[in-house]
Amino acid sequence: MPRDLPPAPPRHQRAEGAFALHLAAGPRGTALRDLYQQAPARVLFPVPEPDEALTAAVLNCAGGLAGGDSLRQEVRLEAGARATLSTAAAEKVYRSLGPETRVESAVTLGPGAMLEWIPQETILFEGARLRRRMAARLAPGARLLAAETLVFGRAASGETMTAGTVFDAWRLEGPDGLLWLDALALEGGIGTQLAAPFGFAGAKALGTLLLAGGAAEAGRETLRSLPERVACGATIPRPGLLLARFLGPAGAVREAVAAALCALRAAQLGLPARLPRLWTT
Amino acid sequence: MATTITTTMAMMTTTTTITEGAALYRLLAWLSPAYPIGAYTYSHGLERAVEDGAVKTRADLLAYVTTVLRDGAGRVDAALLVAAWRAAIADDDAALDEAARLAAAWRGTAETALETMAQGTAFASVTHSAWPDPRFAALAARHPRALAHPVAFGAAAGFHAIPLRPALTGFLSGFAANLVSAGVRLVPLGQTDGQIATATLHPIIEAAADAAESAELDSLGTAAPMLDLLSMRHETQYTRLFRS
Repeated sequence: MPRDLPPAPPRHQRAEGAFALHLAAGPRGTALRDLYQQAPARVLFPVPEPDEALTAAVLNCAGGLAGGDSLRQEVRLEAGARATLSTAAAEKVYRSLGPETRVESAVTLGPGAMLEWIPQETILFEGARLRRRMAARLAPGARLLAAETLVFGRAASGETMTAGTVFDAWRLEGPDGLLWLDALALEGGIGTQLAAPFGFAGAKALGTLLLAGGAAEAGRETLRSLPERVACGATIPRPGLLLARFLGPAGAVREAVAAALCALRAAQLGLPARLPRLWTT
Repeated sequence: MATTITTTMAMMTTTTTITEGAALYRLLAWLSPAYPIGAYTYSHGLERAVEDGAVKTRADLLAYVTTVLRDGAGRVDAALLVAAWRAAIADDDAALDEAARLAAAWRGTAETALETMAQGTAFASVTHSAWPDPRFAALAARHPRALAHPVAFGAAAGFHAIPLRPALTGFLSGFAANLVSAGVRLVPLGQTDGQIATATLHPIIEAAADAAESAELDSLGTAAPMLDLLSMRHETQYTRLFRS
C-alpha cells in the first residue's frame, strides 16, 4: 500500500540580502572601489546618460521582502565622488506572520562627495511589519539628496492597511555632530493612525525628501514654486537641512516626489531635470 | 482642576530633599502661563489648521490636540523629558547631554523647532535667575541656546527633586492647555468650551505620560505627517498671529 509521505516541515527560509558599495573619485570620474553583495540583493551599474553621475541600481532578486527577511545596505563615497543610487523597481513588503522585516541602511559621504539616494517607493502589503533605519554621515562639503516613499497597502487593488506595523527612522550626522533625527512609528493600531484627520488623513502614501549640505533656503523656494499635486510642504528643521513631505494617493505622491527631485537635482546638483531611466522604464 | 492637584500632591510623597510644598510651588510657577517663556505665541500649526478650515469646532480642536499628544511632538518631547529628569536625578551628565542632543536634533519643522528651542532657552534663563542651581547652570552652559523645552524642564525638575510623574503630567497639561487657548482665540470658541476641552483631554494626557515613562529613546517616533504639513504651511501663511 502506498503510504502518504509525512508532510514536509514548513519552510521559513529567511532572506538576508546585503550589499556594501564603496566608490571613489578618480581621474576619469567616480569609479567603483569595492562591492560586496549577498543574495538576494544585487547592485547593477547601468550605463548612465552622459550628463548623469555614476548610477547604481539595487535589485532584490527575491522580488520582495517577507516577515523575517532583512536587507543591509551600505554606501560609502570617498572625497569628491558623485553617484546616484536607485532601485530597479518598487520594493514590496509582504504580510508578516509575526517577525519584522528589517532594513538597515548606512551612508557615509567623504568631503565634497555627492549622493542621490532615490529608491522607488516601498509598498507595504496589508499585515506587513517593517522596521527600517537609515543613518547617514556627512563630511564637510558633502551633499545628500534623499527621497523615500512609503505606500500603505496595494494601491492598485484598493487595499487599505488595517494591520501591520511600520517603524522608519532617519539619523543624519553632519560635520558638527548629530544633525537630525526622525522616525515614523505606526505601531499602535495602524488603521486608526492612517485614518486620523491630523495623522495621515486617509492618505495612501507618504513621501519624504531631504537635502543635506546643499543650499537649503534656495531649495525650499524651488520646492515652494512647484505646482501642488498633493498635500505637501517644505521646511528647514535644522540649519542647512531641507525637508519636504508629500501626502496623498500613491500615484500622485510618486509624481510629486519625482517633480521635486527633478527640480532639486537640476538646481543644486548639476544634474539633468529628469529622473534616471530606472524610474521611468 | 482640584482633582488634578490632589492627585499631584499624593504622588509627591517620594521627594526627600525638598518638601512637597516647595516642589509643588516650583512646578506651579514653571507651568504657569505667566512664566515668561512666550508660550502664548506658539500654536504648533493650529493657526494653519484653522485657516484651512480643518479645525472649526471643539471636537476638531480635541482631535488636533489628541494627535499632537499621542502621535506628534508630545510623544517625543514627553519621552525626552523623562530621559532628562532621570539623568538629572542620577547626576549623569553624559546621559543628560545625550538627551539634550537628541532633543535638539529631533525637530520636524522650522517653526516647531523654534517653538521648543526658544521656549527652552527662555526657560533656562529665567529658571537660572529665579531658582538657581549649579547643576542646571552647568547644563545650560554646556548647551548654550540649544536646550529644548522638555529637556530644560525635565532637568530642572530632576535637579529640584520634583517627582517625575507630576512634572511630566504638568508639562503635557501645559502644552495641551496652551494649544486649547490658541484654539479658543483662533476658531474662536467660548472660554467654557476651552475648559471643557481641557477637562476632556485628561485621560489622553495620562496615557501620554504612561507612554513616555515606558518609552525607549531608540524606538521613539511619530505618526502625524498632517501636523508636520500644517506647520510647514504655516511658514507661508499670509496673516498670522502666532510664531508656529
